[in-house]
Amino acid sequence: MGTVHARSLDPLPMQGPELGVQADDVEALEIEQEPKQEVLENKNVVVQQVTIDGLGRTKDDFLSYEIAEVFRAKNLIDVMRRSHEARQKLLRLGIFRKVEVIIDTSRGEDALPNGLDVTFEVTELRRLTGSYNTMVGNNEGSMVLGVKLPNMLGRAEKLTFQFSYGTKETSYGVSFFKPQPGQFERNISVNAYKVTGQFPWSSLRETDRGISTELSFPLWKTSQTLKWEAVWRELGSLGQTASFAIREESGHSLKSSLSHAMVIDTRNSSILPRKGGLLKIHQELAGYTGGDARFLKEDFEVQLNRTLILDSVISASLWGGLLLPIGDKSTCIADRFYLGGPTSIRGFSMYSMGPQSDGDFLGGEAYWAGGLHLYTPLPFRPGRGGFGDLFRTHFFLNAGNLCNLNYGEGPQAHLKKLAECIRWSYGLGIVLRLGNIARVELNYCIPMGVQSGDRICDGFQFGAGIRFL
Amino acid sequence: MDDQILLSDHASSLSVQAYLRMCGLPIQVVCRYNAEYMSPSGKIPFIHVGNQVVSELGPVVQFTKAKGHSLSDSLDDVQRAEMKAYMELVYNMLLTSELFVQWCDDATAGEISRPRYSSPYSWPLGNILAYQKQWEVRRKMNAIGWGGKTLEQVYEDVNQCCQALSQRLGTQPYFFNKQATELDALVFGHLFTILTTRLTSTELAERVKSYSNLLSFCRRIEQTYFEDKKLMKD
Repeated sequence: MGTVHARSLDPLPMQGPELGVQADDVEALEIEQEPKQEVLENKNVVVQQVTIDGLGRTKDDFLSYEIAEVFRAKNLIDVMRRSHEARQKLLRLGIFRKVEVIIDTSRGEDALPNGLDVTFEVTELRRLTGSYNTMVGNNEGSMVLGVKLPNMLGRAEKLTFQFSYGTKETSYGVSFFKPQPGQFERNISVNAYKVTGQFPWSSLRETDRGISTELSFPLWKTSQTLKWEAVWRELGSLGQTASFAIREESGHSLKSSLSHAMVIDTRNSSILPRKGGLLKIHQELAGYTGGDARFLKEDFEVQLNRTLILDSVISASLWGGLLLPIGDKSTCIADRFYLGGPTSIRGFSMYSMGPQSDGDFLGGEAYWAGGLHLYTPLPFRPGRGGFGDLFRTHFFLNAGNLCNLNYGEGPQAHLKKLAECIRWSYGLGIVLRLGNIARVELNYCIPMGVQSGDRICDGFQFGAGIRFL
Repeated sequence: MDDQILLSDHASSLSVQAYLRMCGLPIQVVCRYNAEYMSPSGKIPFIHVGNQVVSELGPVVQFTKAKGHSLSDSLDDVQRAEMKAYMELVYNMLLTSELFVQWCDDATAGEISRPRYSSPYSWPLGNILAYQKQWEVRRKMNAIGWGGKTLEQVYEDVNQCCQALSQRLGTQPYFFNKQATELDALVFGHLFTILTTRLTSTELAERVKSYSNLLSFCRRIEQTYFEDKKLMKD
């Protein structure tokens, strides 16, 4: 029998192999039902040996979990499918630069007539890699220098050092990541960082020094994360004209919190998805493991997308959050929520909504925000099939509210307070997708329901970021 | 914060309080654990008037002068220069000695200053901040040449300062005879605090006590301007 090279398989199924022919770099082909192929498909094969070539520092036992499934294949198509899956699994570990699969007939004394040997030829990443990136956060840009030690101890552990210098903040940090052998989605990471930020909308300057430990694991269809974090926060006023309310927040505090997050993401992409939904629920309890800050914080994010006729997509999203102080200390400005800006309620200036004092925005303890979008291709579809596909037009409607709650009153009073004085806006704009990481928008917004003290940005507004309402 | 404030800060704060009371201005004293960080200059005390925030005695005197209240208007230029000189003496000698005793003397730092400074914060933040403050003050002491001084030398400096003040005061009620000025407020703030603050040893207070006219000066100001308020602190 001939040699079958199965390389770079992406979507299956692929063309059935003819004997003696190599099928290289096949993409998105369909099965041609040939009588010869049927014979091959039905033929029982046994995978006798699965080898991984090219290992240096990676430990063998660690990889055995990823390739175990290949042994279960019963026929040739199954072998190819499982090999492909094993290849994807090996790649997602983040320790190999390249993985190639070679399926061959068995050789040697033990070779069965229908035996197959599968070999994975891998190229490990270098011990030390440096990187330089530019990053887009929520309406800010930064330069990131990184040093990474992938696969440090042979079982896909990763040590990362990062230094980032941006328009709004400077930070550096070190992070250690270790997955569980055999279950990559269960992993633990330990981080230490120092982040400084400037927030001109509040005339506030914040420096955080913290350490955190995070444990992630999948549970049924969700991804869960448990985290403990300790942060030393230093707040100061930015400029001499800061309001007294901001001055009162200056100083040091220590927050030690436990948090839990649950994410269900069925979208096909995180930037401009066409279908699927997202549900993210996050809670944080601070104060019971030490520290000065004591609160319970809840927030959630829901997004649903659906494709309509003519390549347009309708998308609805809802965000909300609640900060409940525990004990008689009031909440700290560093823990409160902010709303407004090109990434949340468009038409308003960045985080310039809600409670404020002398022009400095103080944030709120409860908020909700909703958005309804209709994405369509650009009118007249210029540059179709190429550059033009990165752009979309969108029509949007955003609404939301941010306020402080008096926790002595009941939930009825709170709902009433969140429902009055709703800010909302509508408009249209152009969205540009940047790879799979970020998106850039240019919108024409009309803000409505503006309350006194809010700062608006009616007319054209530009925004860049990763998380948009 | 009665269990947080330190000697030097309380002295500065009392000086400003005395000055404002002498001007006849109504004041309300508020204690905040983060007052040091709230202040625009990083030093306490500061006053919050309307929209404005002014910190430390010098700027406060300027501020009130601009608003029309002043205690030193009747002084002539020579006297004003003399007043400034004595105020500088208090800052350079008394205040620096207070800081030295608080932070550079290991016993005082360990038993009193660090625990008090870190009291509003939880562990380990309180310890970190207290040690940071200690290093900062010690660095400053080294920079002005006090790093090598012993406690005895510092007590002697306090003695000499008190001697100079005592001589200037003589038998007058105030430094410039009949009228209280900012110098009186400043001296009162520091001396009264030294007399009434409990430290690891009573040496500092003893040096001041040996000058009886300074003692009666403090008592007089307390009775005249602070009769409605209990000033004693531990």
